[in-house]
Amino acid sequence: MSAGLSVLIVDDELPARERLQRLVSEVPGCAVAGVCANGPDALALVHKLDPAVVLLDIRMPGMTGIEVARHLGALESPPAIVFTTAYDEYALEAFEAQAVGYLLKPVRRERLEVALKHASRLSAAQLHRLNTPEQPIAARQHVAVRVRDELKLIPLKSIRYFEADQKYVTVRHTGGEDLLDEPLKQLEEEFARDFARAHRSVLVAIAHIEALERVGEDNYALRLRGEAEPLAVSRRQVAELRRRLQKA
Amino acid sequence: MSKTGAAERAASALQPLAPPADTSPPDTVGMAPAVSRLDASDDDFFIPDFCATRMVFAVVLVAELLAVTLSLARPTADFLTELARVSMFLQWLGLTSAAVLCYARRGLKRLSVARSSLAVFGLLAVNTAVISELALWFETGFDYATVGAVLAPSASWPFLLRNIGICVIVTALLLRYFFVTHQWHTHVHAEARSRIQALQARIRPHFLFNSMNTIAALTRSDPARAEEAVEDLADLFRATLRDSHSPLRLKEELELTRIYQRIEVLRLGDRLKVTWNVAELPMRALVPGLTVQPLLENAIYHGIEPLPDGGTVTVAGRVVNGEIEIVVTNPVALDGAVSERSGNRLALDNIRQRLALAYGARGSLNVEQQPEQYRVTIRFPFSE
Repeated sequence: MSAGLSVLIVDDELPARERLQRLVSEVPGCAVAGVCANGPDALALVHKLDPAVVLLDIRMPGMTGIEVARHLGALESPPAIVFTTAYDEYALEAFEAQAVGYLLKPVRRERLEVALKHASRLSAAQLHRLNTPEQPIAARQHVAVRVRDELKLIPLKSIRYFEADQKYVTVRHTGGEDLLDEPLKQLEEEFARDFARAHRSVLVAIAHIEALERVGEDNYALRLRGEAEPLAVSRRQVAELRRRLQKA
Repeated sequence: MSKTGAAERAASALQPLAPPADTSPPDTVGMAPAVSRLDASDDDFFIPDFCATRMVFAVVLVAELLAVTLSLARPTADFLTELARVSMFLQWLGLTSAAVLCYARRGLKRLSVARSSLAVFGLLAVNTAVISELALWFETGFDYATVGAVLAPSASWPFLLRNIGICVIVTALLLRYFFVTHQWHTHVHAEARSRIQALQARIRPHFLFNSMNTIAALTRSDPARAEEAVEDLADLFRATLRDSHSPLRLKEELELTRIYQRIEVLRLGDRLKVTWNVAELPMRALVPGLTVQPLLENAIYHGIEPLPDGGTVTVAGRVVNGEIEIVVTNPVALDGAVSERSGNRLALDNIRQRLALAYGARGSLNVEQQPEQYRVTIRFPFSE
């Protein structure tokens, strides 16, 4: 094993963190780079410490380990992710998120060693491939954007709409505007439950719509809560939007 | 890691099963109705499938036994000839009846028990009449006289009526037998299913493995507390494995609930606070075992754990008009996705069933869901 494999431990329960910390420090060639108790902290620490491996608890309040893994997967040089969980009802989802490994709590020392050893052998390219899910299975609760050099999480609930430009997608949310590096089509599929197309390049949050208004002869526009400018609606989408609004 | 190979294999093996988009993780409750529906589509009708070889064999056997009975009852000199005649007739009758029921079963399935029974009586009586007429034909041979008798069957009336009478009595006995057997089967199935559900509701794997993990951690850092946790866990599981129908003193049930709380506090730390407000309750009152503890477990699993900063669960009890009322309240994460998980209903249904079993209509469990609060109230009569 290469010297100084740095490991970040993420678990919402103190005894679980303490135990993993002790086990990792006992594995030769491994060092605990950091410890934290929730998803957003984990993302910040990964950015700050650049660990080689993240031991990630799955069931955490606020943001689940699965979601953390998906955000990490979008990084340029992602860490290897090893999930830890007490009960394996999440196994399928974890494999979908393409983790390097999967440890059941209480974690056995030998299994931890094997998992860390395996993780240390993977190249950045392999990790990138592993960490990028082919097909998202559950919608995220946050969208991660890169602001300068930091990962910033925007809660899905605060997003008013996504607007596709030539290359980027602009996220318009209650806290302002950010650029996102994901195709609109994919966003539409993932967030189909809460978002709908307003026209070809705009995906709007149903919950933020105040009214659907007629403009002129037979053009329509959406008024959003907290937005001064109405959003243009393509005629093809009017019926669908009306249906979604009635349902909501 | 050796697991990864297996993991990838598992993942690829599971690919065809992998749902396209927002399919929730597999849950036990979702499975249960599917299973019962499977049962229902096949076997939820009390009249068995007469197309099956086993049933045809049974029909032959019953017809033969009946033939022996009838032949024995008739005072004739030549028993064997009589038996052969009666057997021949009854086998024909039995097999054609089985064929009729085989074809009619699908239609009969849609009717109520009373209606389908009436229809069976009708079908088999008509079948008996037809077979009896044919038998008469064979006995007397084809001549114009018999054809006349068939067209105006007054000559064969006594024979026909006798046969239909026997047919109706035998059919009635068989239908009763089928019905009772079917009821018994359904009952056994339901019981087995409810036992499994009860077990799942009582031992939540999530809690078991997390507790084990906590103990593993404490064994080194705080052996005394680890020891205490093992003792607590043992007490809790002993209670879980006890016959759930034998009642407990309220004092014991609340003690168990506190033991459970102690284990969870080790794991969740400051995130879990429980306010007890039960001084008013008569501690000698009897309760069905494990009615209060699962309420706290639910409140923690669905209420406290999904909250990043935790919260306070309130357990309050009082006596109203001779009835004991216990209310467990927990905060709910604003994003309610987690609290809708199916295990919740399973556990609550289980408690509701047990209260109903012990107290009938006087035992109840009610749920109030508010935007930021979840409140479960149980009521049952005070008894010592």
